[in-house]
Amino acid sequence: MRVVVAAPQVPFVRGGAELMAEDLVAALRARGHDAEIVSIPFKWYPGTRVLDQALLWRLVDLTESDGRPIDRVIATKFPAYCVRHPDKVAWVLHQFRQAYDYDRTELGQFDDTPEDRATRRAIERLDAVALGEARKVYATSRNVADRLQRFNGIEAEVLPHPPQSLPYREAEPEGYVLSVNRLDRAKRIDLLVGAAKRDPSLRVVIAGEGPDRERLERLATGLNGQVTFVGRVDEERLADLYARCLAVYYAPVDEDFGMVPYEAFLSAKPVVTAVDAGGPLEVVHDHRTGAVVQPDAAAVAQACAYLATHVDEAKAWGRAGRELAERVTWDACVDALLS
Amino acid sequence: MKVAYYSPLPPSRSGIADYSTLLLPALRERVDVVVAEHGKRAPAADVALYHVGNDPDAHGWIVDALYKRRGVVVLHEYVLHHLVAGITIGRRDGRGYLDAMERELGVAGRLLGLGVLDNLLPLLWETQPERFPLAGAILEHADALIVHSSFVGSKARAAGYHGRIWRIPHPAWPLDHVSPVDDVAGDPLIGCFGYLNMNKRIPELLEAFAAFRRDRPGARLLLVGAAGERFDVQRRLERLGLTEGVTRLDYVPEDGLWALMAACDVLVNLRYPTMGETSGSAIRAMSLGKPLIVSDVGWFHELPDDVVLKVPVDDYEVEVLRAALGVAVEHGGQLGAAARAYAARYHDLGGVADAYVEALEMAAGGEAVADAVLWRIAVAAAEIGVDDPAAVARAARDAGILS
Repeated sequence: MRVVVAAPQVPFVRGGAELMAEDLVAALRARGHDAEIVSIPFKWYPGTRVLDQALLWRLVDLTESDGRPIDRVIATKFPAYCVRHPDKVAWVLHQFRQAYDYDRTELGQFDDTPEDRATRRAIERLDAVALGEARKVYATSRNVADRLQRFNGIEAEVLPHPPQSLPYREAEPEGYVLSVNRLDRAKRIDLLVGAAKRDPSLRVVIAGEGPDRERLERLATGLNGQVTFVGRVDEERLADLYARCLAVYYAPVDEDFGMVPYEAFLSAKPVVTAVDAGGPLEVVHDHRTGAVVQPDAAAVAQACAYLATHVDEAKAWGRAGRELAERVTWDACVDALLS
Repeated sequence: MKVAYYSPLPPSRSGIADYSTLLLPALRERVDVVVAEHGKRAPAADVALYHVGNDPDAHGWIVDALYKRRGVVVLHEYVLHHLVAGITIGRRDGRGYLDAMERELGVAGRLLGLGVLDNLLPLLWETQPERFPLAGAILEHADALIVHSSFVGSKARAAGYHGRIWRIPHPAWPLDHVSPVDDVAGDPLIGCFGYLNMNKRIPELLEAFAAFRRDRPGARLLLVGAAGERFDVQRRLERLGLTEGVTRLDYVPEDGLWALMAACDVLVNLRYPTMGETSGSAIRAMSLGKPLIVSDVGWFHELPDDVVLKVPVDDYEVEVLRAALGVAVEHGGQLGAAARAYAARYHDLGGVADAYVEALEMAAGGEAVADAVLWRIAVAAAEIGVDDPAAVARAARDAGILS
């Protein structure tokens, strides 16, 4: 089949969504399909500009390319899933959350003016139209599927995807807790730094870059090297950090899906997360594959201390997680998306 | 976003006052609402919401406000002849009535109106209002319509209304537990709530009940509501030999209404001709999980077949109604459960309030959003040689970007 993976791209920003689209194309090609990413730069502000972006996707003709038909379009995010195609499958990583669960919160974009309210409604309506056209709607997590149901009344089947391909391996833990994430306030890495402040025996390694780095570094000042920022690391180094850590910390606010727990599990490591983390809670189960705690530094410190003093239990939880993660394969995803 | 809310409210005894009493708190949880008051200055707001029904005493001032400032109109019924007569003839504005009749029917309408003014014809709003709904002026001033039924929506469309029409169900009253009264009983107890007149098919109901009672002598009919002028209920009861089998109550306050309904085994809510109205009484009956018998017309016709028993208005109406009473008694549990489930699902107050907010937000800001997006599209289109803004706007709407 000739398959287009339609995915928006925020110029100069690269994250899980981009990796997922690339991995999907690789998986499709590995199965003998002709696959390609089609992208349009995404800028969602100010005000009604977000609708222009939807219009751009609406205008794109992906029914054929160079005189040959395109058999299927797999669209991953708003506004890419606004593209029109007779065989469109939406595999929703997330909607435009500013119009939904972020609305009227500090993460929202629309205020109380009639124009902003109507813009939000236009997005809601577009989602109903665009996702309603799809022959099938998948969501990468139960969390995302629930939002589609709650806000739009759209039924979506949960289809998680594997994490990025790394040389995952298990090694003897060296006692540090690892954070792998974009350094952004919503990822709540400050709770892990706060835990290190409370427990002088806790060592933390923070991988990743982002706008919150400076603040986090300030918070970590005076901790005598307990907290190490390693920035963005290459694949080999990342796999090594996963392999040698005691546990992985991952507690963003209501995350859509979260690949990090899967990456941790494939390295046989338990995950420390928070009760309000969203998607991660679908695979991180308290005392089975990790620790699920209240979103505060004391609770995180306590969970990390428990794992440090119960290393065999930590290993067992990590291996239980690996069993879960190994069940999520690209083959299964491709089968579903092309069925 | 602020909404100016125009509606009759208690102590007005209109059904729309009850409706607003139910809706307003739920709406206020979602949007800033300022309630407009009769005789006071119109409140400043981003959008105005006008509840329009057929009673000139309750709605005349609301229509006056609508004529001064356009807005979203909740058309509770399509036939507004009585309202229009009240705000024209009732205010010594015969010319206004003639204009309304002419708008609807051209010169023939004006002549009919003259006949009414000169007492040469019976009062049309009393004798055949459904033939002359006179909703035209209201529709002209409505930026968008909210209706409770497809029946009213399609009537508005047929009258040439081009604006957006939102179909939003009448909300159901949230219920915890209602204790039935114990001083009215029957085996079974059949209830009919609302104004008693020809339009509610009371003669047909009495006739059917008399026949039903011959097989079920323990049956009792509870009639709750004031009788219409020139409608002598007592004389009809005597003629049918029903003085023993019928209990009549005039106005009953809200709490008592629920308790009386809860005591009934079957509720009957008939109508013909219909003005396109929704029945709050029918919604109450369904919320209570009571088997309900309705006329197969208008909004009632749109209720699902497995939720209510529908009686066609034809030559067999009385016989079918009598049979329906038997079916409703026999299958009361099943019908009542279906009605309760339907009311909970489709008439949920939260869902209704959400739909109102959507309609109001689109009415208040939709045009500005469309203008902003269309402007940028038009500029880009013009730069590549497409300079017909109307065509561009149509294309954007066809693409689903704007409504």
